Amino acid sequence: MSDETTMKSYHGSLKEALDDDFLRQTLDKFAVQYKANRQLIFADINEKGLISEIADHKEESLDHLEELYEQFTKEASRKGVIVHRAATAKDACDLVCSIAKENNVKTIIKSKSMTAEEIHINHALEDAGFIVTETDLGEWIIQLRHEGPSHMVMPAIHLSRGQVAKTFTEETKENQSDDISLLVKVARKELRAKFAEADMGISGANFAVAENGSIAICTNEGNGRLTTTLPRVHVAICGIDKLIPTIHDALRVIKVLPRNATAQAITTYVSWITGAVNCEKDGPGAEKKFHIVFLDNGRTQLIKDSKCRQALRCVRCGACANVCPVYRLVGGHRMGYVYIGAIGLILTYFFHGHERARVLAQNCIGCEACKDVCAAGIDLPDLIQEIRVRLNKEFGSTMDSALLGRLLANRKLFHTLLKFAKFAQLPVKKGPYIRHLPEIFGLGQGFRAMPAIASESFRDMWPAIKPQVVPGAKKVGLFAGCAQDFIYPGQLKAAVTVLSKLGVNVEFPEAQSCCGLPVQMMGQRQSAITTAKNNIQAFKESNVDYVLTLCASCASHMKNRYQELLEGENMEADVKAFSDKVIDFSSFLTDVVKVKPETFVQGDEKVGYHYPCHLVRGLGVTEAPKTLLKAAAKYQPAPEEDVCCGFGGTYSVKFPEISGVLLGSKLKNLEESGATCVVTDCPGCFMQLNGGAVKQGGKLKVEHMAEFLARHLAK
Amino acid sequence: MSNINAAAVDLFIAKAKPVTIQVSTANNLDEAMNFALDLCDKQPLGKLMLDTGAPPDESRKKTFSAPGVDEKLWGYLVDGGSKKGFEMIRGGLRKYLAGIDMSFTVADLGIADTASCVVECQSEDERLAAMICERHVVALSKSKIVSESYEAEPFLKAAMAKERNYTAFISGPSRTADIERVLTLGVHGPLELYLVLLEN
Ligand code: SF4
Ligand code: SF4
Repeated sequence: MSDETTMKSYHGSLKEALDDDFLRQTLDKFAVQYKANRQLIFADINEKGLISEIADHKEESLDHLEELYEQFTKEASRKGVIVHRAATAKDACDLVCSIAKENNVKTIIKSKSMTAEEIHINHALEDAGFIVTETDLGEWIIQLRHEGPSHMVMPAIHLSRGQVAKTFTEETKENQSDDISLLVKVARKELRAKFAEADMGISGANFAVAENGSIAICTNEGNGRLTTTLPRVHVAICGIDKLIPTIHDALRVIKVLPRNATAQAITTYVSWITGAVNCEKDGPGAEKKFHIVFLDNGRTQLIKDSKCRQALRCVRCGACANVCPVYRLVGGHRMGYVYIGAIGLILTYFFHGHERARVLAQNCIGCEACKDVCAAGIDLPDLIQEIRVRLNKEFGSTMDSALLGRLLANRKLFHTLLKFAKFAQLPVKKGPYIRHLPEIFGLGQGFRAMPAIASESFRDMWPAIKPQVVPGAKKVGLFAGCAQDFIYPGQLKAAVTVLSKLGVNVEFPEAQSCCGLPVQMMGQRQSAITTAKNNIQAFKESNVDYVLTLCASCASHMKNRYQELLEGENMEADVKAFSDKVIDFSSFLTDVVKVKPETFVQGDEKVGYHYPCHLVRGLGVTEAPKTLLKAAAKYQPAPEEDVCCGFGGTYSVKFPEISGVLLGSKLKNLEESGATCVVTDCPGCFMQLNGGAVKQGGKLKVEHMAEFLARHLAK
Repeated sequence: MSNINAAAVDLFIAKAKPVTIQVSTANNLDEAMNFALDLCDKQPLGKLMLDTGAPPDESRKKTFSAPGVDEKLWGYLVDGGSKKGFEMIRGGLRKYLAGIDMSFTVADLGIADTASCVVECQSEDERLAAMICERHVVALSKSKIVSESYEAEPFLKAAMAKERNYTAFISGPSRTADIERVLTLGVHGPLELYLVLLEN
């Protein structure tokens, strides 16, 4: 539970997590195993098809939520269930407390519910004098330790068996060993007694099925079944977003949720509860008092928010944390308030106050790994960016991001400034790298060598290298992007060499500017819109067949985001025409030019590949780079080729401690694979990888695909 | 025999293994019940979960419950169980929250691709029987196995249309991985789940 509201204290808390060896090892192991297991468990079903169906149906449910609520209430009431609706977290807590009082309850048991966590029900109940016991093993452990969950599905993943043994020793006043099976037995015994005496059970609900007024609960431990069976009162707390029309809708989600959560085909128990079932606590023939509390807490408002309402599709599988490289390093206590992982950054803003989200929402590197696996097809990184925009509006942006925003939106000013900076850096320059970073670039950058601005930008060298026009051949407009235009013009030059050799016409529309992603990432929406418009105009005038870029991030931003960014600007046709033409360098060579292996000289260098996030997930490119590599060298696979290198643009400046660790793992994997060179398709990744490799003594050579191929062109 | 979906049965058996359901086959319910009775006989006396303050009673009878079965089956079980010296329990399971050695249940449906036994537990006793036992034997007729969950929809719809209903998918013994992600069975419910597939 991160409650840090200043960057400084947040950095302190991140450092603690990064120094926690147990946490790091556990989450590392988990990240690797989860990915492999997930792939296996999804092998026999149509993952993407199901996810898009879930997304569509969830949207439809949100459209009809009030009708579903009415239908559910009617059905459930008819069957003896008392249905409530709480507008706020406080209302929900008050309601549950009064139900407990009315029924003369003393002890309460709970099965796992994120919604109950959301409203901090335990505090409310304990303040009102009730004795509350969590019965999910992980939840019980953290309850005893007075901690919050660090994962939505595995709440105690941050704790070692030794820590659990110590906690259980204190609780039972008996010495407990750290043998996990014995610890589980301790819980079995201790909690059975709590089940036996409890007057009231509180559960969540994975689904509220409107057609028959039933709820369904998925658990592995079976505590949900005991919680809903033994006590004489059952209260289910459930977000109104859990309402769905039919059993079929629930079954559809069940096909994905456990697979995504823990790589299980299904949870051990799925319980479908309809009506006030019998309960013999008060003697034979008695009925259970069954209440359902539907929680709003901002949800109906969020439905009206056309951009962010997709967050309400979430089925709480926790997968967005499982695959997040940042979560993997710092754990759930630093990656959410109550809800954790990508969705945690978002829901904190909507459910727990904007102030709490201010710092948290910054800690996303934008790698899109979460979006790639989300069970509900939510565009999580996009929503996180949107929240940054809103936070900037509400609290004002930091000086540097506002300045950068205005600068990048003004192309002429930006380019002039860069030319000036080229001279200004001279005293700190050492060859192609910066010796000591001036203070304004931020501290903590010692983990990588930073490149200097090139002595001649690509736009300046273009008139001299512009190839001759081949009549009738395809015409590509080269989109340079800031990093290559001003820092790595050699990569663009290499691309021009390769393309000319292949008989492709290359143009360089000079009015182009930054793609706009960096400012978008910082929440400077208006600047992002201005740069986008400018680029579309620049390429429209040059009438090219393709907009080709060597930067995966520029490509994915221009292809996937421009349309939405420029909605309402009355230029749909132009935007679409532009976005459709955007293509990355590797795909252009394999899919459009269809290069033959003979184009290159096959060397025996062992070469690894790093997948830029925005190439593999942003554009879905998986095969093209490998095909090209294999044509010119010995491709050397390395583990986790598609995991983020830690660059993330301005992220690496804001969170150098995390960026540096991600880079370290990346380089280690590559080195251990035996590769002597690593190729990638993005100048940002190149800057990060090369910066790290140079810092480590330069054993590993880093190359952009364009330079690598230019070096292997057959004569 | 003709209404058995052989592919679904095979799939169920294949999917049961990774979720630690121990599958065997029997020709009929009598055989399945004998299997449960014998299994209970062979197992060591279960450990009771509630402290009464008194020292553990090693001479207590083993407990065997089957609240969901009809009169005829119950008669058969009582007959066999008494011979083995079991305490046979059909109702009032609340008195046994400290634990039951064995429960026997007949499943209503099986879902192959997730190895799920669908059990409608109308009474509290049926729900408890499946949860507080150390070992659970479920009998499932092969003819009631469907390939995947959408095919179970008509059954679920009918069950949930009722005034009161508690239906469960059970796909293995109670499990947790909450401590260091180490899979451990029997955290709240049964330590072992046995499935007996019936030819008839
Ligand atoms: S985009 Fe990447 S860093 Fe950001 S929340 Fe998603 S997985 Fe984590
Ligand atoms: S946002 Fe998506 S991946 Fe994350 S918990 Fe929700 S459904 Fe799962």
